Amino acid sequence: MAILSLRNVSKNFGITQIIRGVSLDIEQGEKHAIIGPNGAGKSTLFHLISGRYELTSGEIFFKDSPIHNKPPYEIARLGLARSFQVTNIFPMMSVFENIRCSLLWAMGYRYSFWHMVNRERRLTEKTEQTLDQIGLHDKRNFPAGELAYAEQRALELGVAIASGAEMILLDEPVAGMSMTEARNAVALIRKITEGKTLIMVEHDMNIVFDLADRISVLVYGEIIATDVPERIRSNARVQEAYLGEVTSDA
Amino acid sequence: MLKSAVVWILFAVLLLLLPQLADSVFAISIYNQMAISIVFALSYNMLLGQGGMLSFGHAVYFGLGGFLAVHALRLIEYETLYFSITFIPLIGGLFGLLAALFIGSFSTRKAGTVFAMISLGVGELIAASSLILVSFFGGEAGISGDRTFGPPLFGADFAQDLEVYYLAAFWTFLCVLFMYLFTKTPAGRLANAVRDNPERAEFIGYSARKVRFISFCAAGFFAGVAGGLFAINYEIITEENLNAATSGRVLLMAYIGGLGFFIGPIIGAIVLTLINSVLSNYTDLWMLYLGLMFVLTVMFLPRGLTGFMMMHRMAWHLGKLRLLLLPYTITAIPGSLLFLSLVAMIEMSHTNNSEFIFLGMGFDPAGWTSWLSLLVVAAIAFMALRLSLPGLKKAWAEANSQETEH
Repeated sequence: MAILSLRNVSKNFGITQIIRGVSLDIEQGEKHAIIGPNGAGKSTLFHLISGRYELTSGEIFFKDSPIHNKPPYEIARLGLARSFQVTNIFPMMSVFENIRCSLLWAMGYRYSFWHMVNRERRLTEKTEQTLDQIGLHDKRNFPAGELAYAEQRALELGVAIASGAEMILLDEPVAGMSMTEARNAVALIRKITEGKTLIMVEHDMNIVFDLADRISVLVYGEIIATDVPERIRSNARVQEAYLGEVTSDA
Repeated sequence: MLKSAVVWILFAVLLLLLPQLADSVFAISIYNQMAISIVFALSYNMLLGQGGMLSFGHAVYFGLGGFLAVHALRLIEYETLYFSITFIPLIGGLFGLLAALFIGSFSTRKAGTVFAMISLGVGELIAASSLILVSFFGGEAGISGDRTFGPPLFGADFAQDLEVYYLAAFWTFLCVLFMYLFTKTPAGRLANAVRDNPERAEFIGYSARKVRFISFCAAGFFAGVAGGLFAINYEIITEENLNAATSGRVLLMAYIGGLGFFIGPIIGAIVLTLINSVLSNYTDLWMLYLGLMFVLTVMFLPRGLTGFMMMHRMAWHLGKLRLLLLPYTITAIPGSLLFLSLVAMIEMSHTNNSEFIFLGMGFDPAGWTSWLSLLVVAAIAFMALRLSLPGLKKAWAEANSQETEH
């Protein structure tokens, strides 16, 4: 059963069409990668799913309920979390505080001004657990803005997954990392998305073919193929539009 | 947990003992002003420091709370209402909250420039209409009441300023405590998150607007309580208490004290109250010095006075604070000399007398020798100050380095 389904989704900025009628079904528990050349509209597609942008036309359903044109917080509350390509955390707050804030809604605190967060034992425990998972336990009291780049990326992931969302969207989670850092990050992603549905945008083909169950290729706002990695590799249109460039570059 | 309880008990004891330290009419009146300013400045910091909302119209909630409080005093005086004036600040707070509920419903949609402009506009609107709607605001004369009516509390009829002090101290303690506790709640934590990054806050399930709205209403409530305390203390309230000048003053208090720390606005409120009431006895130009202090704080101490003190935490933990004592003294001598000579020139240019006395020295404002000698002193002090800075920098680096001294 599809947990997320996009039906004929389009997005225009002024007269420029960025996304042109994308339809896509993501199965429960699947790891799905979206690849495509620069400017294909991959990040825009994420922004449409997560509510940052409004759709020009089309529909998006998450767990059978429509989420298109809903504000980001309502989509997040349904259990769809995301990370950002450019690190997007709470820079003046401590690492611990970043994670704790990301847990609050999911744990039912809403806008409470009568709970004392320090006294909520389960909240503290879950925050600690998440810090262990992303390997930032030692840095818990550091201001997030002062972390090293790879650590900020790990925190970015932590903020996205802390709430325990069923579905996670990761926008270029290893961009700008060294080989070692990227390898660690992939291991981390594999660990924390276990049993969850994952959609990721990624440029590094090794990671994509390693991690993804299925791959969609987005070119100029259209999905030209969606399939398992082996068949994407051998797809003639994909090779022409995208992979060919990469191999000739390399 | 225990440590914070001790801090609160000490705070309560301090409030109770303050009148023992100095109980002149002047001292008590300063304490009362401080109490009012502390609550007001802390409420302002719920907006700016904790919520990232720069308001130029926070006096609206202070003033409206104060006006309703004076009306309540009058109703007690005319025996329409019958309760102790101890509860008047609560009435002020509720009216501040009501105003914030209404104004916040549209002004908290965005932070940043939009919020700042709306706060300025609403502030001007209320200040202007307060002069027009005479029946509620009393026009330019404002409205006045009498706090000595109503049932006495533990025998206190609030005719004495000291009795007012204990009432103000009680409310100040409660307000500071609750404003502190607010920062520890989910709503308070999220206020920080929305300040840092409103967009990301929305992706972890929170409407940035609603988070801002909650902080805004809380800030309105506590500003109203401060307004109610003001009404009891002065028994009069006018348009001046809700106009842009008052809004500006609370911004200065919070900023000079330090926005990033809970205690910052408290320190700012104490310092500015002292400047306001003590310095104004000595010079007509105290506003100028206040302005200069603000500019210097923005330029050199962006984290305020509290931030400056907190800068020394590292050296303190390393036990190297004493390394800074001598360099600080060396810098402070030319620094204060420069400051005093500048003050002397400013005051001399302002005086109407033929002879100007400053620190026991006589100067002649009309002759050029006084000016020249002050200029020379200022220039030498300035050069000496600059020469002392590298030494201070070096000592600072040493005091903050992990390496042990040899």
